[in-house]
Order: sequence, then C-alpha cells, then structure tokens
Amino acid sequence: MDAMDCKKAQRLFDDLAHERLDAETAAQVQRHLAECTDCRVLEQRGARLQRLLSLKRYERPAPEYFESFLSEFHGRLLAETQRTGWWERALGRMENVLAVGSLRMWRYSFASAVGVAAIVGLVWTGVRQPGDIAAQSGAADPSLVVAETMLPPPHSTPSAIAAPLTGLPRVSTVEYQPPAAGSVVLVPMSTRADSPAPRYVLDRIAVTPASYEVASVHF
Amino acid sequence: MKLKESLKLGGRFLRGTDDAAPAAAPALEREIDLQHEDDETLVRRAQKGEPAAFDILVERYKERLYATVYHMTSNHEDANDLVQDTFIKAFKSLRSFRGQSSFYTWVYRIAVNRTINFIKRRKNRNQFSLDDVDSSIQNDPDLVEMMSHVTPRREAGLTELHEKLNEALQQLSDSHRAVVTMHDVQGMTHADIARVMKCSEGTVRSRLFYARQQLQGLLSDYL
Repeated sequence: MDAMDCKKAQRLFDDLAHERLDAETAAQVQRHLAECTDCRVLEQRGARLQRLLSLKRYERPAPEYFESFLSEFHGRLLAETQRTGWWERALGRMENVLAVGSLRMWRYSFASAVGVAAIVGLVWTGVRQPGDIAAQSGAADPSLVVAETMLPPPHSTPSAIAAPLTGLPRVSTVEYQPPAAGSVVLVPMSTRADSPAPRYVLDRIAVTPASYEVASVHF
Repeated sequence: MKLKESLKLGGRFLRGTDDAAPAAAPALEREIDLQHEDDETLVRRAQKGEPAAFDILVERYKERLYATVYHMTSNHEDANDLVQDTFIKAFKSLRSFRGQSSFYTWVYRIAVNRTINFIKRRKNRNQFSLDDVDSSIQNDPDLVEMMSHVTPRREAGLTELHEKLNEALQQLSDSHRAVVTMHDVQGMTHADIARVMKCSEGTVRSRLFYARQQLQGLLSDYL
C-alpha cells in the first residue's frame, strides 16, 4: 500500500472529519496523521476552525421574524408586477414560452420568428423604395444624375402658397453639359482629378430669390 | 394556524379575489394538503397557475435561504431583501424552470448569485448586526470549550468572537465566502455546492481549502 504524501492527506482532512472516505483511504490518512506532526497540527487547527464556523448557525433571527415573510413577499410581488411595463410582461411571457422545450412550442416559436422576419422584410422594402427609384433613374449613367429643385415662383398669391407643393425635388437624367458662366457648380470635396471614379456634378439649381411681399391680392 | 391564514391570504392575493366566499373552505383544505407534496409536484402545480403551491415552497425554504444569505452578508435587513428578491425572481421565472436540477438547488443558485452581485456592489457598507444571536449558543459544548481558554468573560468573549468571525468571513473573496458558508455553516455537501455554484466538486474542494487556510490565519487567536 502506497504511503500518502502531505498534500494529498491535507486535501482529505475535510472528508475524514465528515466520514466521507472509504475505509481504506481513511486508514491511509489516519496512518499519515500518526506519522506526520505538521499534518496533525494542521488537522487539529482545521477541526477547531470548523467548530468555530459552525457557531455562526446561532446567528439567526427569532422565529417570529419570519411570520410576515409570506405576506411581505406577496406585497412585493404585487408592487413588482404593477411596476413592470406591459412590454416587459410580454417579453417575460415570450421568454417563458421559448424556454419551454416542447416540440410544439418550438414550432410556434419558429412560426412566430418567420412571421416577424417577414413583416420586418416588408417594412424594410417599403422604406427602401424611394431610394431604389433614384438608383433606377440614374442606372443608365450614374455620373449624369442632376437634381432640379423646383421652388414656387416669386410674388405667389396666398392661395398659391397654400396649395399643396407639387414641385418637390425631382430627379432626372440629362446629358452632361459644361457649366455655363455664372452658374453654381458643386463638386464633392473628396473627388480628385486623378480619380477614376465617376464624378457627381450638381449642374444647376433653378433658384430664384423668394419674396415675402404680396404683389396684389384680389378678393 | 398562522400558516393556514397566510396561505389563505396568499392564494387570494395571487388570484386577485378579495371575497370571503364560503366555497373557500375546500380550497383552503386543498392548499393545506399541498404541504405534503414534494417539491417537484409543487413546482408543476405552480407552473400550471396554482400560486398556493409556490407559497408552500417559499415557506419550506425561506429560513434556509435566509441563513445562507445572512452568513454571506452579515446583515439581517440585506438578507431579508435578498431572499424576498430571490423568491420574486424565482416566481417570475418559474415557467422557465425545466426541472433539470431540484427546485432547492435552482432557487439556492439564484440567491447565491444575487448575494454575490449585491456584495460586489456594496463594498464599503457597514455590514454587522449582531443583535440576533440565539441565546442557546451559551450551552454549545464547542463554544464552552473554546471560550474557556480564550476568556473567562463569556458574554464579552461571545460578542467579540462573532465580530471576529464575521470580519474574517468578509475578508474572503465572494466565491470563497459562499463555499465556506454553504459547507461549514450550512453543512451542505461538496456535490450540492458544486451544483449551486455550477462548478466541479474539485473546484469546491479547492476553494474550501484555500478559504480555510486564509481563515486560519485570520482567526489564529481562537485556534
């Protein structure tokens, strides 16, 4: 039978004290303790420490301390439920449903997930539509996309101003023409002369200064 | 009798009814019968919407959970709050409890994790409240033997001993303190502690070993 070393014996002191060792191992530890003074001192100190710690079990409130525990728990639970928003409750229910591991529940969960994904997809497609139109209109030659802003002409009558705007910015493609003298040309700062990337040029903006004066009002 | 009243109140509260209907008597009898059911059955019934079953579980484990949390925090008010929170969390998550561990292990794990998080948050707070030491400790043979060579003045020695014990425990790391509390104070087995702390038994043994080494140094005057 192998002799037990100090390290292994020290790891087993706790099990020895609680009688959790088989007879053979317990005998080995006992033999080691009989031979090794250091381990014997350690074992005695450990046993005293455990007795000391076990005194903490006396630190407990009087039995009547727990009498109102359940009613207090109900009060807190009610307050917690009232404080929780409907979305949190819904989320909690969803979590609970997802947590139940039955196949039928998983089917429902999967179907719900597919449904949500479909709705999100449709909404996303709807949001993307205006941008797609712009891209399609410039598809022939993206370098020739020109924005024309149609603003109401000056000296508009009040009725004309109140009328719904029909001249919102439109996007159309025209042949690129060199800018005429005096027109406003906007070139992106990042565009470099040596860059092979297509240039996006805002060719012209039909802007006429707006006037807030009403020339003539006829009733 | 008090438990009967408590159950009656609890059941009414959770069902949202407030009338003292005569039909409540058989229901009350049924609730009393629940006390004899095992944890698994009570959990299943609570999951199916029978809140009185959960009340029995609260009654069954409140003191044990309280003791563990108290020994980790050394404060009765904090312990009370944490155990209440633990049961609220358990009640709200009950449907997600799949029975892979026992209810006791599950709820214990919630309590220990909540307590460890709480201790991390409150690092610098005053922690002691030693006004609730059971008077029967005076007759404990271990204490009598220990105190006989520490100090002849047992009363003063007892208060000092508890203060030293709590101070020493508070100096351990959170996980070491949890292991010492569960093993040496509560008397749980390594296997149960490993399940609660979601670690191996070897890790529990190792933490216990190092925690005791540290405690032996801190409490050398009493050893």
